[in-house]
Amino acid sequence: MPALLEIRGLSAGLQGRRSVTQVVSNVDLDVQPGEILGVVGESGCGKSTLATAIMRLLVPPQVLQSGSMTLRLNEGSSYDLIKLSESELRELRWRHLSYIPQGSMNSLNPVLRVERQMTDTLIQHGLSDKEARSRSAAALELVNLEPKILYSYPHELSGGMRQRVIIAAAVSMHPTLIVADELTTALDVVTQRQILQELIGIRDELGATIILITHDMGVVAQIADRVAVMYAGKIAELGTVNGIFETPLHPYSQGLIGSIPRESGQRVEGLPGEAPSPWNYPTGCRFHPRCPKVFDHCRAQTPALQAQESDRWAACHLYDTEVAADV
Amino acid sequence: MSDLLVVENLRQIFGGRNQTVAVDDVSFRIPAEPTIVSLVGESGSGKSTIARIILGLLQPTAGRVLYDGADIATSGRKWNRKFRGEVQAVFQDPYSVYNPVYKAERVLKLVIRKFGLAKSKAEAQAMMEEALRAVDLRPEEVLDRHPHQLSGGQRQRLMLARVYLMRPRLIVADEPVSMIDAGMRASFLNILQDFRDSHGISTLFITHDLSTAMYLGGEIIVLYQGRIMEQGATQTVMNAPLHPYAQLLISSIPTPDPRRRWDEDLSAAPLAEIGYGARAGRDRCLFADRCPQVMDMCWGARPRLRRPKVDAVESAQRDVACYLYE
Ligand SMILES: Nc1ncnc2c1ncn2[C@@H]1O[C@H](COP(=O)(O)OP(=O)(O)O)[C@@H](O)[C@H]1O
Ligand SMILES: Nc1ncnc2c1ncn2[C@@H]1O[C@H](COP(=O)(O)OP(=O)(O)O)[C@@H](O)[C@H]1O
Ligand code: SF4
Ligand code: SF4
Ligand SMILES: [Mg+2]
Ligand SMILES: [Mg+2]
Repeated sequence: MPALLEIRGLSAGLQGRRSVTQVVSNVDLDVQPGEILGVVGESGCGKSTLATAIMRLLVPPQVLQSGSMTLRLNEGSSYDLIKLSESELRELRWRHLSYIPQGSMNSLNPVLRVERQMTDTLIQHGLSDKEARSRSAAALELVNLEPKILYSYPHELSGGMRQRVIIAAAVSMHPTLIVADELTTALDVVTQRQILQELIGIRDELGATIILITHDMGVVAQIADRVAVMYAGKIAELGTVNGIFETPLHPYSQGLIGSIPRESGQRVEGLPGEAPSPWNYPTGCRFHPRCPKVFDHCRAQTPALQAQESDRWAACHLYDTEVAADV
Repeated sequence: MSDLLVVENLRQIFGGRNQTVAVDDVSFRIPAEPTIVSLVGESGSGKSTIARIILGLLQPTAGRVLYDGADIATSGRKWNRKFRGEVQAVFQDPYSVYNPVYKAERVLKLVIRKFGLAKSKAEAQAMMEEALRAVDLRPEEVLDRHPHQLSGGQRQRLMLARVYLMRPRLIVADEPVSMIDAGMRASFLNILQDFRDSHGISTLFITHDLSTAMYLGGEIIVLYQGRIMEQGATQTVMNAPLHPYAQLLISSIPTPDPRRRWDEDLSAAPLAEIGYGARAGRDRCLFADRCPQVMDMCWGARPRLRRPKVDAVESAQRDVACYLYE
């Protein structure tokens, strides 16, 4: 099946006075229709920048530098998101793309009832009041909220309910692609579990495709179909969730998975060091200062993301047949 | 030997028009032998309030805290000094604790001076380096830096280095790892375990993240709306929780293993959440409006925390506040 979204060579950065500091570098990523793709990595590794770049919602000093992002819709049309004008983008976002930014449950307007906040955009786009209300009520149902929530003010709702309202608003037009950034990070585990299960329901019922950005390996293990591991602005590894958790190839994925605290009495070692900021990205493989398997080549040459066994891509010289032959 | 810390019938009611019962008759103890006790619960369940009371930062509405046998509220100045030295706090992000113009070196030197820990400059230097190594920091990487030049994980460990210098008997750590990344989290938790095993330092570890409590082992206390629902050996409670709330909480942990996914759909369960649809009054089981096993009696009076009877046999190593086990 062709990818729903085909990202090639996507780079984005921060505009400084003299030059641009690259934050996200040369990302290649295919998003398959109907999948939940988890994007994981330590904080500061560029996950949110990637999400906003995909949505074309970067704000200065953030700048899009290069690449292409082909979105193929099932009616047969396809678009390069990078080339679209602002008005074309607006139309596409309204019909097909939905973005739930990090921390958005705190972005509801405290003085407006939920109804206004959910229906305003729908009405602006030409829906009748009645249509807008019934769509909103139906969307609330997808996240297990009663329609009477429409008449509440945000402060009357718990954090979990506010997050559900945000999700409902984001899916009320049945988007093709949903990008959700740290959707459940601020919530308690029980609410987190309910919301993630509702998200699976939304995918199943609406046939939506979801990119779920999170720093939490547990969340990814529970609901993602495939996982992209990001490090210092690049994709380090991409594969199925079982593959990545059972046989991580990239030393960074190995470190991430190996440092997860599990049962008591089973001591795990942390991942030493910290992720670099964009102003200090190392040369060659950006993971080399922390990599237990580093060799000379890694310090100078940047490994490309290459296909490994089936359904797996890794950017590491260990799996680079030409380089490995040299060593 | 008396217990290191005894918390007796703590109650904390915050005033105002909408009175909040933040802590509702909470009792527990930390034994004299080095132990890690985890206090877990959703946000708003009263964890930080309990920590503040234990640290003497907040006077409780009722109840008392005994440290090493003495009431922390009524002991004299000399004793207070001992308490300040022996009980140390570690907060979520210690950024606010540091003076931004002080370099890390100064932060540590101040402690050494204040507590008269070293006799010479050389000794002070050696102590600082040892403390930093104990928390996996390289002295040359941090001593010369200001707090804002350190990462969250480094600041958090610098805080532990400071604590290490003081050799307290008890650390009260309120959500210390929730701001740091998973990779660093494991090292932080390992340090607390080393403190316990090699230096006899106990920790009251406060968290909303059950997986870190599970990793730490020791004892666990599960709070819900200011009350203890279940407490006991962490492994016993985590492996087979008895209280329906503890069961819900533990089954909701996102286990980092795609082969062990959540099974049944929780979203189909009753969705009453705290603060919404909850029935008023506290003379009842506070979990009654969400409990799948609720019975009539659960609405009538508060279940007491006691040794549970499972199949008429007393289950050791824990206490539960639920009518199912009486
Ligand atoms: N608008 C901005 N201004 C300054 N720095 C930024 C901005 N956006 C991103 N960054 C920096 O870029 C890096 C990646 O950030 P982000 O994409 O938010 O990572 P993540 O979501 O993985 O935590 C971080 O070092 C962050 O500080
Ligand atoms: N100073 C205060 N004044 C009023 N209410 C407070 C105060 N501190 C905490 N609370 C309330 O007490 C309850 C418990 O809070 P807290 O101890 O911070 O919980 P936790 O640390 O478990 O999130 C919450 O309902 C909170 O809003
Ligand atoms: S390329 Fe080299 S440094 Fe980078 S992850 Fe692979 S082995 Fe480690
Ligand atoms: S006391 Fe009743 S309502 Fe409370 S947890 Fe037990 S069974 Fe459920
Ligand atoms: Mg982010
Ligand atoms: Mg708290």
